[in-house]
Amino acid sequence: MKYVKKLQESIDGHADHNVLCISNTFYTYQDFAVEISKIRAAIVNTVEDSEKLIGLVTNDDLETYASIIALWLQGKAYVPVNPSTPLERNLQVFELTETKYVIDSSESSIYTDHTVIASKTLTETEINLIPKEFSGDQIAYILFTSGTTGLPKGVPITFNNVQGLVNAIEAEPEFNLVPSDRCLQMFELTFDFSVVTYLFPLLAGSCIYTIPKKAIKYFYIFKLIKEQKLTVLTMVPSIINYLRPYFPEINAPDVRYCSFGGGALHSDIAKEWSDCLPNCKIFNYYGPTEFTVYSGFYPYHKETHQKAHNGIIAIGTPQKDTLYLVVNENNEEVPVGVTGELCLAGPQITPGYWKNEERNAISFFTHKVNDEDIRYYKTGDLCIKDEEGDFLYAGRADFQVKIRGYRVELAEIEFHAKAKSERKVNMVALDITNTLGNAELGLAIESESFDTDAIFEYMKTKMPDYMIPGHVRFVKEFPHSINGKINRKELRTYFDIN
Amino acid sequence: MSREEILSKVKEAFVSVLEHENFELADETTADDVDGWESITHMMIITEVEKVFNIKFKLMDLMNMNNVGDLLNTITSELE
Repeated sequence: MKYVKKLQESIDGHADHNVLCISNTFYTYQDFAVEISKIRAAIVNTVEDSEKLIGLVTNDDLETYASIIALWLQGKAYVPVNPSTPLERNLQVFELTETKYVIDSSESSIYTDHTVIASKTLTETEINLIPKEFSGDQIAYILFTSGTTGLPKGVPITFNNVQGLVNAIEAEPEFNLVPSDRCLQMFELTFDFSVVTYLFPLLAGSCIYTIPKKAIKYFYIFKLIKEQKLTVLTMVPSIINYLRPYFPEINAPDVRYCSFGGGALHSDIAKEWSDCLPNCKIFNYYGPTEFTVYSGFYPYHKETHQKAHNGIIAIGTPQKDTLYLVVNENNEEVPVGVTGELCLAGPQITPGYWKNEERNAISFFTHKVNDEDIRYYKTGDLCIKDEEGDFLYAGRADFQVKIRGYRVELAEIEFHAKAKSERKVNMVALDITNTLGNAELGLAIESESFDTDAIFEYMKTKMPDYMIPGHVRFVKEFPHSINGKINRKELRTYFDIN
Repeated sequence: MSREEILSKVKEAFVSVLEHENFELADETTADDVDGWESITHMMIITEVEKVFNIKFKLMDLMNMNNVGDLLNTITSELE
């Protein structure tokens, strides 16, 4: 696998450079090579060759990043679980993937029913970063996203998929990382955006700066920009929404690149943010987990490139080898200027949801391009292609919302909220926009008020914290639209959170 | 305004953002000790505190704020 080989060359070739800065401690590529080799040896000694999917507890430390590379050198996939997510949900992920082995750098592991490789306690071995030969259709990682039925949905990404992403970014002349770059890595490793924030710096020999789990994210990012003089930022737009009141105090001339993704970037804030970064190129990336992080971008510039639709910056054009198609409800292409669902094809497309044929039949279809059958993924995002060939974002086609960059199915929240409620009443989860322009979750309950502690305690055992509604309102009777559906728009007005 | 008065107003701001009252606030209290106090709600609490006291924090102060004591100190110096 070409990119894994390149990782080896980069780690070998930048031995005295810093690879990671975690809670103010720097580690070199040499330290990284030692750690990878130790974990790799443990994998070889512990895990049967036939076991390809290995659990990984995503702590914020050198061992966790080294584990990803160690697994890849062996042609195995990581199945990441966040230690702050309820254990039950993480066990569900391991059960769905039949994961037997877990790499865990925690002091003591809670995965007692699994064979644990305790990565903090391994003994030194010889450095060995030469990748094993393996087939590119093997899985490199599986991530789980919110599903409508209460069960998380697995998205497997193969080594070929990741290679497709690397090829596309390498073909992009506007974006080139160098060994002296200092790059922000603000994402949980269970979130697909993290792949580009560790992989690209590692391939270039740059240094990655993580955010400690207990830190107040927004201020810590600013601290890193200011004190460590970061040069490359990759973030979700909600970060700058929260920092917006403090923009006049931010001036970061060292930042060369700032990439956004995982949510709508609004033109007014993009311009203001751009003023804080006088020497920076801004990229508005688009791409779902199912298409290996990025599928394309729009190169924003406050004076020359500010194309937007309803105040949301365009998502631009597909990257190398990727095809975009905008379709109607019959999967037929719609003309330029007409809104439809955006579909993606190319080498980065997932082989399909993990053991979920029903979902796969809905989300993927084939479409003839030049007499060839091409497999497309339906993103659920509405788009318009304009006369210049740029794609404009026009909202979601379903009840999925983005909370801090994470995809959330409102139906999953409703499912868990109702599951343990003693009162059989109607509950609706809603996304509500706060004064800073970020989405927060609300739960509307059709009833006189009652104590919801038990419902919330239960939800917290089932879902990660970003999926727990922050606001509850009791509504005696839900408003309905003319055709009898619950009027979500009107229901939102009950949440006076601003 | 006395430190007690400030603390009591700060507590009100916490309750209004977090939508519960199951916590005590003392100088050494951190986000770890209060259910629901994390990155997002912290930003909302800061906005609420600014509104209640009619002050505007500086990013430099917020960047080094580690517990409730730091928050009270910063409010006190802003009010001076």
